[in-house]
Amino acid sequence: MSASFLRKTGSALFILVAWQVLVQTGNVNELFLPAPLSVLKALGAMTVSGRLPWAVLASLNRLVQGFVYGALVGVALGLLAGAIRWIEDVLDPWIAAVYPIPKSALFPLFLLWFGLGDTSKIVTIAVGVLFLVLVNTITGVKAINPLLLKAAVDLGATRPQVFVKVILPGALPNIFTGLRLGMGMALILVFITEIEATKAGLGFLLWESFQLMETKDVFAGVVTFGILGVATTWLLQWIEYRACPWARR
Amino acid sequence: MLVELRGIGKVWPIARTGEEVVALESFSLDVAPGEFLILLGPSGCGKSTLLQILAGLEQPSRGEIRFPERAGAQKLTSMVFQEYALFPWRTVTENVVFGPEVRGIPRAERAATAQRLIDLVKLRSFETRYPHELSGGMRQRVALARALANDPAILLFDEPLAALDAQTRRVLQDELTRIWAETGKTFIYVTHSLQEAVLLGTRIVLMTARPGRIKQVIDVALERPRRFSRRPDAALLEQLDDLLREEVERAMSESS
Repeated sequence: MSASFLRKTGSALFILVAWQVLVQTGNVNELFLPAPLSVLKALGAMTVSGRLPWAVLASLNRLVQGFVYGALVGVALGLLAGAIRWIEDVLDPWIAAVYPIPKSALFPLFLLWFGLGDTSKIVTIAVGVLFLVLVNTITGVKAINPLLLKAAVDLGATRPQVFVKVILPGALPNIFTGLRLGMGMALILVFITEIEATKAGLGFLLWESFQLMETKDVFAGVVTFGILGVATTWLLQWIEYRACPWARR
Repeated sequence: MLVELRGIGKVWPIARTGEEVVALESFSLDVAPGEFLILLGPSGCGKSTLLQILAGLEQPSRGEIRFPERAGAQKLTSMVFQEYALFPWRTVTENVVFGPEVRGIPRAERAATAQRLIDLVKLRSFETRYPHELSGGMRQRVALARALANDPAILLFDEPLAALDAQTRRVLQDELTRIWAETGKTFIYVTHSLQEAVLLGTRIVLMTARPGRIKQVIDVALERPRRFSRRPDAALLEQLDDLLREEVERAMSESS
């Protein structure tokens, strides 16, 4: 075990133990700051009762759907806009107009248009993911060395072949940057869209617990969001590792 | 003749100023099969433009380029770039087979071609490396193998060794000579080094400063293998040196 690893585990353990001791011996009201063991107990109880797994499932459904739709459209439009001038010109004003808007601000509109069900939430998440992936994909295509396109044409590649065999792999590292940023955005938007107009999901569970002053359950929800974030990040890293073997360092 | 260039001219518009730059002017030349033709000239003389036109990547503004022996649409040329232009996401083998792959050659045949060419450029045991894991000299060998994979009649070289260190360049100059002799292909080779021109070429086309025209065509009858240490090339080097300096000085006085 390396010294670095020991320091990291030591730091984590120290904080957790100090926190536990502080809450137990000190004058801290668990309503404001529950001890780590109480949170763990709450996690266990919520898992056994099925409340937590059910909430995670509902949230994951929206997260994955929104992410996949947003990513697919973002990559496709980004590749086209990066490679074909007139498509970029058509998209450019829309990107400039919508990109800076916090996508959570669009949620009320989507509620109005798509109703209170999952669709409005999935659309909000998808739009948030789409723009991050789109902008990064365009950057990726533009960053491709033009000499590579020339070489491909010189070796006999047709336009569609250049697109699939040069532009797509050339933009892939930037596409993954967009996907990682998009996943972060998707997690934020899952929480925000689940505060209102739903009775299911991790965000709902967390917000409801807050309103009932069940602080232990709020913490349990926060921890679960954290685990979700780490898991999705690892999954994306693994896919990138498989998809971009040349970029492994 | 393999290639016939007739009165080739190329004009580049400069969008910002609305001016036009004449890169090439009334350039006429015949290239015979099996030549090692050197295009030598000061920078900006349109050597690279001429290669792009030969490769079909640019169209001439004036004049005509003919490939009398070409059957149908089959391309006769492949290019080797100064900056290698290898696909970073493809291994050595995958880079070499790019041409056959996009032309729909069966997989087994592609693999055989790749192996033969990797052996030719002496890169065996590096097949699964990515370009960033190779030295500059090795990358240029991959680029050469990739250009040969389409079995072109003509290989176009755009200052292929200019980015390499002197020792690596020296080794690759001999390698290029060997591969030229072994394959019997026609090499058209752009350089601004007159030593390299005399070391490699069967014929040197000396170009003028912009606009690029033919100043002089010189046959190099020196025996091979050529070495820098033997001196029958001294007179030729001196002649080329004088001619080239004239052009460089003219280019400098015009641009200042």
